[in-house]
Amino acid sequence: MSLIEVKNVSYAYNENSVAIDDVSFDLEEGTYTTIIGHNGSGKSTLAKMMAGLLEIQKGTITINGLQVNVDNINKIRQDLGIVFQNPDNQFIGSTVRDDIAFGLENKLVASEEMEAIIGEYVAKVGLSDYLDYEPQNLSGGQKQRVAIAGIMAMKPKIIIFDEATSMLDPKGKKEIKQLMSQLSDNHITVISITHDIEEVLQSDECIVLNKGKLFMKDKPEKVFADAEKLRKINLDIPFAMQVKEVFRNHKIKLKANDLKGMADELWQLNSKR
Amino acid sequence: MAIKFKALSYVYNKDMPYAHKALDDISLEITEGVITAIIGETGSGKSTLVEHLNALLLPTSGSLEILDYELVADKKIRFLKPLRKDVGLVFQFSEYQLFEETILKDVAFGPLNFGYSQEEATQRAKDALKLLNIPEELYNSSPLEISGGQKRRVAIAGIIACDPKIIVLDEPTAGLDPKGAKQLIELFVDMNRTLHKTVILVTHDNEMVYNYADETVLLHQGKVAYHGLTLKLFNDKNMIKEYDLLEPQIVTFRNQLKEKGFKLSDEARTLEKLAEEIKRQIK
Repeated sequence: MSLIEVKNVSYAYNENSVAIDDVSFDLEEGTYTTIIGHNGSGKSTLAKMMAGLLEIQKGTITINGLQVNVDNINKIRQDLGIVFQNPDNQFIGSTVRDDIAFGLENKLVASEEMEAIIGEYVAKVGLSDYLDYEPQNLSGGQKQRVAIAGIMAMKPKIIIFDEATSMLDPKGKKEIKQLMSQLSDNHITVISITHDIEEVLQSDECIVLNKGKLFMKDKPEKVFADAEKLRKINLDIPFAMQVKEVFRNHKIKLKANDLKGMADELWQLNSKR
Repeated sequence: MAIKFKALSYVYNKDMPYAHKALDDISLEITEGVITAIIGETGSGKSTLVEHLNALLLPTSGSLEILDYELVADKKIRFLKPLRKDVGLVFQFSEYQLFEETILKDVAFGPLNFGYSQEEATQRAKDALKLLNIPEELYNSSPLEISGGQKRRVAIAGIIACDPKIIVLDEPTAGLDPKGAKQLIELFVDMNRTLHKTVILVTHDNEMVYNYADETVLLHQGKVAYHGLTLKLFNDKNMIKEYDLLEPQIVTFRNQLKEKGFKLSDEARTLEKLAEEIKRQIK
């Protein structure tokens, strides 16, 4: 049994527009999956159904053996956290400490244990020196990290990131992307909905949606193997692969997959001349 | 005519204990007729700066000359409407500001408000929607029923329909898919090249800046750390290091090639151009 099983799921906001159309896939525990697709492809709809924020109209989603529905959702949410796009909309406490404590209080953690738990998780997101900071004195990336610490303190099996880096500056983006990798290294199942093609490279698997249908589910290098296929559905390939493509069009075949390796190869070609 | 900030400062919550100086003695002349990117970390003052351009914010001290208007601290302004027609500002996540019953009405709202007749306003709205690739069969749909990317384009059409001289965009491509982002930015490049609009772009996307912006303003803690040619900024290793800028990938790649021994100019903005330069050396 896989940790997450999505079977023949469909969703329509109204009769004329089907947002998700008969989608099925399984996700294994501990994997880091990116979900990409054009605007309106159904990415967020799918994530909302997994988190029980939208009622599933057709098909089933099973998480950790429990079917996602009204009866099970509270139980499922103990295993599942979600980080949203806007860092300002998910800060509840008046300080970093209070914000993380909020979730613990809901979970009825004894107050004498709380400080230690909070300390542990702010350290994990690198914000130990910021416990008494108020949200207005934090950067966007820092606010997102507080949200992640609060979720991690709940010890979920799964964390869904719904375009969690799209409103951040380059530094904030980098911080959150590193953190997602770390979470995955610590056996948390990470699902990240993103428009950041470069992020896909650090994930284990990528799901591509097109017009509500499952277009591909494969390892990143396989997904990016056919650039034209992706461009037809409004997506693109990462920079390093674009380099390879451009030189291939100039009849220069490069074997390396990283920029440094390609620079080496080109210089060797130049020396051989 | 000019876009000239003169010793302009802006303080949020002035005279309060938590007053915050967002812009600190800014003197800056933005070049007309080109595409200028405004970059800098979160909190560096980018949005505060551009919100002065159509008088959403007024300087706490100093002044701003823009087109034929002048905003001076503590001086009441009488030209708000013409200024806002001439300077179109598209906010971050502008799709949340759609409100009319139909897409066509939403886009025509601006021109109507600025005194165009119903007929003219409708025509302007149609032209703008066409420019932004919104299919005609959607004109009478509710703007709330279309996809996020389409909503963003409708919101931008609302500004374009007013025929501004200066177009200011705050993170126009955030949250758009790669193709949508590219189409949108190329539309602004086109409006700049063919209609000579001044385009001012606030963004975190340095790849886009490097590819499309003629000039760049780098803000740091409310001050101007750099203003000049985009290519010069991103090819300056000291600046990249000092301000912890994310280097465009083509620059990173070019530097690696140069370290190997290739002789390359800093002019290429696209991989195609870079590949051509290299090919000339190899063959």
